[in-house]
Amino acid sequence: MSIDKSKIRNFCIVAHIDHGKSTLADRLMEKTGQVSERDMEEQLLDSMDLEKERGITIKLTPVRMFYKAKDGNEYIFNLIDTPGHVDFTYEVSRSLKACEGAILIVDATQGVQAQTLANAYLAIDNDLEIMPVINKIDLLSAMPDEVAMEVEDILGIEATDAPRISAKCGTNVEEVLEKVIDKIPAPQGDENAPLKALIFDSYYDNFKGVICFVRIVDGSVKVGTKIKTFMSSKQFEVTEVGVFSPKMTAKDSLSAGEVGYIAASIKSIEDTAVGDTITEVDNPANKPLPGYKKALPMVFSGVFPLDGSKYNDLKDALLKLKLNDAALSIEPDNSVALGFGFRCGFLGLLHMDVIQERIEREFDLQIITTAPSVSYRVYKTDGTVLNVENPTHLPPTTEIDYMEEPVINASIFTPPDYVGPIMELCQYKRGVYKDMVYLDKTRVQMKYTLPLNEIIYDFFDSLKSRTKGYASFDYDMAGYQKSDLVKLDMLLNGDVCDALSIIVHKDKAYERGRQIAEKLKDVIPRQMFEIPIQAAIGGKIIARETVKAFRKDVLAKCYGGDVTRKKKLLEKQKEGKKKMRQIGSVEIPSEAFISILKTDSDN
Amino acid sequence: MSGIYIHVPFCAQKCTYCDFASYPKEINKAESYFACLYRELEGRAKATKDKVFDTVYIGGGTPSVVDSKFIVGAVRQVKKQFNLAPNAEITIELNPGTVDEKKIKDYKSVGINRFSIGLQTGFNEELKRLNRIHTAKDFLLTCNLLKGENISADILIGLWDQKLDDVKKSIDLALAGGVSHISVYALTPETGTPIYTDYLNGELLSDDEVRDIYDGVVEYLKEKGLFRYEVSNFAKLGFESKHNQNYWRRGEYVGAGVSASGFLDGRRYTNSYSIDEYMNAVIYNKMPEISSDEIVGDDAEFEFIMLGLRTREGISVKEFNDNFKVDFTEKYKETLKKKDKFLNFDGDRLTIKDEYLYVQNDIIMDFLR
Repeated sequence: MSIDKSKIRNFCIVAHIDHGKSTLADRLMEKTGQVSERDMEEQLLDSMDLEKERGITIKLTPVRMFYKAKDGNEYIFNLIDTPGHVDFTYEVSRSLKACEGAILIVDATQGVQAQTLANAYLAIDNDLEIMPVINKIDLLSAMPDEVAMEVEDILGIEATDAPRISAKCGTNVEEVLEKVIDKIPAPQGDENAPLKALIFDSYYDNFKGVICFVRIVDGSVKVGTKIKTFMSSKQFEVTEVGVFSPKMTAKDSLSAGEVGYIAASIKSIEDTAVGDTITEVDNPANKPLPGYKKALPMVFSGVFPLDGSKYNDLKDALLKLKLNDAALSIEPDNSVALGFGFRCGFLGLLHMDVIQERIEREFDLQIITTAPSVSYRVYKTDGTVLNVENPTHLPPTTEIDYMEEPVINASIFTPPDYVGPIMELCQYKRGVYKDMVYLDKTRVQMKYTLPLNEIIYDFFDSLKSRTKGYASFDYDMAGYQKSDLVKLDMLLNGDVCDALSIIVHKDKAYERGRQIAEKLKDVIPRQMFEIPIQAAIGGKIIARETVKAFRKDVLAKCYGGDVTRKKKLLEKQKEGKKKMRQIGSVEIPSEAFISILKTDSDN
Repeated sequence: MSGIYIHVPFCAQKCTYCDFASYPKEINKAESYFACLYRELEGRAKATKDKVFDTVYIGGGTPSVVDSKFIVGAVRQVKKQFNLAPNAEITIELNPGTVDEKKIKDYKSVGINRFSIGLQTGFNEELKRLNRIHTAKDFLLTCNLLKGENISADILIGLWDQKLDDVKKSIDLALAGGVSHISVYALTPETGTPIYTDYLNGELLSDDEVRDIYDGVVEYLKEKGLFRYEVSNFAKLGFESKHNQNYWRRGEYVGAGVSASGFLDGRRYTNSYSIDEYMNAVIYNKMPEISSDEIVGDDAEFEFIMLGLRTREGISVKEFNDNFKVDFTEKYKETLKKKDKFLNFDGDRLTIKDEYLYVQNDIIMDFLR
């Protein structure tokens, strides 16, 4: 049985972070009877604990809804929730490819923000029909008409008839559903043509193997269909197809225009790359759908198991995470200080944070991560060029002709009051001023070119604190620029600790060296002997701190009644030490490696 | 060697740092409590017929706060039920302001021959802040009653804005009272005690300050002829507490009374902390114990090491090997190597170097298996 494509609408919701994406998604599901109000857990689509706690969407989550429209017809809506954070732009673009339209939510109190713009442009680039919705009209400070004007002025998208809603209260949500039918085109495609299904996401299920989230563009697929992908030579027989409602629900078949999942006992995660096209073995399509641009990791960090014997567990965990996170790069790495581990590449700091937390929570592994780095280009005197993502791999200065560092084009939206502080911050972060546009009385867009290694180092936090959270920020890569960079080493008790080395701009080296030494002094607990902490550039000591030896660590009284209790105390104390890494004779808490990033430089 | 510990859970009032089993408001239960205690001693004695006991220690609480007839009764009961060595060391803890001539006379009459006085500090303001009932003068009066006896005093370090010189003055006061043994305890603020608030407010001395005082005290006491024989205990030669040394040698002991612990035939036990629960158990011929553990293998070995390394004499490797049928230097090779810098080892006795005795947790922890 094939489905009437004209009654299908595939769309996603895009917005600046916190403008109410997940809340509207929940409300739509509720209104279409997908979930009852009573069963409704807040923000249903954010299923990871991490997503709920942080109020962010990380993974793509498709859901299928039935809507009985005012015209008397029943429609199928496939909604794909998308992440809002700048780090996950890549994931947004993935879901856009599976849709014909996008609901663009704009907060009626905040108006257009950096990621509103970025996501709207992304949707336009993907030829999606954009349907603006003004949210949060229940708030006292809401200015829906002004915001609608702004959407028209800044984005050039017709917004006078945009639904004014409150996703929180459920106001005018019906109007959104009706508008989806009117404004978002039904899918094209030919169910009789050879199968073409775009894999826009996937994950590994222990029982069913790899589950591919697909948009069927042409043809149809059902249990028993022999399939293959364009990038792999392997063939598989489909064991299950289905849709998300929002839980996975098996169906007989999926045909052109539909969004759903395919399981085919695919064991290896490499066999189904996100962005690849699935087709039928017996009746293959002649060419794949346009795939995705490969997402390039921008931020690199060492990830090591706290307990060295868990190296293989960590490897499995990373590979499983990589299955549905093409942007995560993994390379084996080893450090004198931390042993065997991996050098991982991430889209940004939030992405890095999320991966770390998922390793710890979902795989129950304790890890140590080192300070993030970016990928530097090293032009050697012998004419060769090297990409260095790990400061330890930087060749000796004598072999380096010059170095380049990655830079970004930053776009910052802010109320005019904060223009001064932001300029100061960007200057401090070695930024180059490009442009400034007054969008209206309340908003200025500032454009800067900034070195990426300054962004990964407390830029977000500084921007937030300087603008009381009012500024929003988005960036894209702008290539490389020549830069005067040095490697800053940290010495503990006289020995270089390789896991603490960073690459910094020469002008910042002294300051950073001093800050890191101070920070380490705070996080390294006192031990049996005095520990000198030194910062050095090429053997020259530029800063020094000392962790004094502890002087009292004893059970004051230990008589007949104390023996068992004192033994337990010592066992506990020893257990606490397991969270430390022994480096030479010095014990370092695992958070020391990342804490050097968190020095508060400019407050 | 073996000892007997008897706990008296009564006090005139609670000190601000105290988290021991001591219940000032229940002192009216003394009569029935001691009746139960005598009964427990009788019961405990049945399993010790083959053992000879060398020490008795009556601690608290404040044993001297109750009528001396109860103490006399307790010692008599011990002598009746246990094989007590003729020259046994019998200690009682006293607090100034709770004893008179008659009490002392009664104690001595049953053979109590060692008196441990809770002085804590020689400064009246500090005593008041600690909610002690006595003054420095009361201490001297008590000492006067004990002239010529074997006396010990307890002193606290780490109090508020205490200075080394203050502690020295308290020591002078103790020495003037004729003590030949002093215990110097670093105040340990326990959660739930009133002084814990001061600790949270940062009003007590820091670890560094405590250590400075401690080092000064060790030196000062040495000048006065009292030598450190354990982390917190100092004595003139020959006046070390036998009862406590038995603990640190992992010797056996009977514990009787509320919250008392015992260690017999490889088993450690602890009695109930509640007076009522304790009495109820004893009256109904039940064990008043709330915990009982057979200590074997690595745990037993660790106890021996943890306790022994607190003392000047440390542990004897030969004794260790005989006791546990284990080759100590082989089994703990790694630890001995790793902690070599902090240890003295003459082939038999293993001790912690003097300067590391006060940071020993990190050293002994490494012997945990």
